[in-house]
Amino acid sequence: MTINRKDWSREIVMKAWSRGDDETIILITSPKRDQGTAFLKIGKEMWNWQPTIERVIKMPPSMMMQSWMGSDFTNDDLVRQSSIVTDYTHKFTGEETIEGRPCHIIELKPKPDAPVVWGKIKVWISKKEYLQLKAEFYDEDNYKVNTMYGLKVKEMGKRLIPSLMRIVPEEEPRNSTEIEYLNLEFDKSFEKNFFTVQNMKRLK
Amino acid sequence: MLLKLALRNIGRNKWRTAITAASIFFAVLFSSFMNAFQKGVWDRMIENFLSSYFGYIQIQGKSYWEEQTLDYAFYADNSLHGLPEKVEGIDGTIPRLESFALASFEQKVSGTMVIGIDPALENRFSGLDKKLVQGSYLHAEDDGVLMAEGLASYLGMQVNDTIVLIGQGYHGANAAGKYPIKGILKFPSPDLNKRMIYLTLGEAQRLYAAEQLLTSMVIHLKDNSDYQSVKNELLAKLDTSRYDIMQWDEMLPELVDAKKSDTAGNYIFILVLYLIISFGIFGTIMMMLKEREFEFGILTGIGMSRKMLAFVTWLEIVIMGLIGAIAGIVGCIPLVYYFYKNPLDLSDYMKEMDDIYAKWGFDPLMPAAFEFDIFINQALIVFALTTILTVYAVYKTISIKPIEAMRK
Repeated sequence: MTINRKDWSREIVMKAWSRGDDETIILITSPKRDQGTAFLKIGKEMWNWQPTIERVIKMPPSMMMQSWMGSDFTNDDLVRQSSIVTDYTHKFTGEETIEGRPCHIIELKPKPDAPVVWGKIKVWISKKEYLQLKAEFYDEDNYKVNTMYGLKVKEMGKRLIPSLMRIVPEEEPRNSTEIEYLNLEFDKSFEKNFFTVQNMKRLK
Repeated sequence: MLLKLALRNIGRNKWRTAITAASIFFAVLFSSFMNAFQKGVWDRMIENFLSSYFGYIQIQGKSYWEEQTLDYAFYADNSLHGLPEKVEGIDGTIPRLESFALASFEQKVSGTMVIGIDPALENRFSGLDKKLVQGSYLHAEDDGVLMAEGLASYLGMQVNDTIVLIGQGYHGANAAGKYPIKGILKFPSPDLNKRMIYLTLGEAQRLYAAEQLLTSMVIHLKDNSDYQSVKNELLAKLDTSRYDIMQWDEMLPELVDAKKSDTAGNYIFILVLYLIISFGIFGTIMMMLKEREFEFGILTGIGMSRKMLAFVTWLEIVIMGLIGAIAGIVGCIPLVYYFYKNPLDLSDYMKEMDDIYAKWGFDPLMPAAFEFDIFINQALIVFALTTILTVYAVYKTISIKPIEAMRK
């Protein structure tokens, strides 16, 4: 992950494991000072392991909208993914071609009782490969907050995916955060107790 | 001739002169005394507060003050090295890295202000080790922290317990660390007392991923009253596109406001004092006129010009005013000097006045300011009042009716 700012940029290398949409562990492997820091996500809950202070911190709801590791992602962005199907109503609103791939534009509106922060999301999904190539996030007042781009589409772990994800906040177009997959594997199996707080502390 | 006359008149009735001059003397004495205390107390309070932490001038990274985040921290380049040799009036520079963190111990958490310091320099500037109530002071390579007493008692911590700090570092880095408590500090200001944690500069830089960076540099002045000229010189010598040079009243507008509102309250008090003084002086002038009515009647009766008579009277009062004012100044000096050297100790009465004074870390001592400006100004004000009051005397002498005045 690379965080770009006007005067500086920072690079973080991490490993992530996930099973389905509900269970994820992210482990920071570089820079050295953050090595071993891990995040565990189960469903809508999130824990953070800080090896320097030997503490597990359960992320409270008040922290969910805060920046994750100083990036343009919020903690909520990490947790939210699964709800895209269940929490929104979907509508085709048009077609557009991005980087030579014809896409459907789909507008997502949250269901009335859905626990989400966005007022609207527009996503661009390629017609043939079903890749998400672009997404725009709007707040309750219909102002655009973030734009996410899916770039460098290539085959990884025997699947075609955008290997670089870039998120650009609307208010600070010079800032951005990029996540690039260096290596991807699919369909691996995990031990029974892999996605637990205890295991998060042991991961290397 | 008229001056001689006036002086003779003054000399003629020494008792009367003494009473008038004395009323002016006391007026100058009281008002100077009041003002000297007023100024002395505030000067001391500000001095105490600034020298315990902020200093009169700080060098900061550009825009740091508006938005106090580590991202505006700066690297101390060569222009900041050896400042005491480069700029007249600087005694030393005290580097700091300040930020916020959550401090946690067992089940309790509190928001704290974390300050990375150079233990020796900081101590020379603010005498930090004198605030130590438990444990020991930091040394240069220490990995422990000093914690404010209020914070320690809130978290239930003692010396040698381990505090966990977590916050956000430079450029959004993750900042977390644990440190043993080396010592506990007691600050007179309750505000500082419940949120300060001191680390060595090196440890703080490691914690916040801000190697070699500072958020501020306090300028330790040889003489605090020089701060304006030192600031100007720093502005001229340093790269102002990289650094901001802040003076205390920009950093602490609340302190300036508190002083202003307190002073405004005192103005009313002083105004009442002047009013009482004026009436006192007016009374003695009236007495003198009444006493000399017969004399004035005769003088005008035998053909002395009223204007001349009025002028002589005016001159007399002005001379007495001068005598009184000068005596007042002379009388003030030992009195105020005594209270300047031996401040009033109000420890026993302070309990009720806790709020504002305690907030600014004020100890219950009331010194007087020993400044000649105050004496001279007060003497001038009282003298001006006296001169205005003589208008009445002049009017009285000019409009005198000799027949009535002489009928006794």
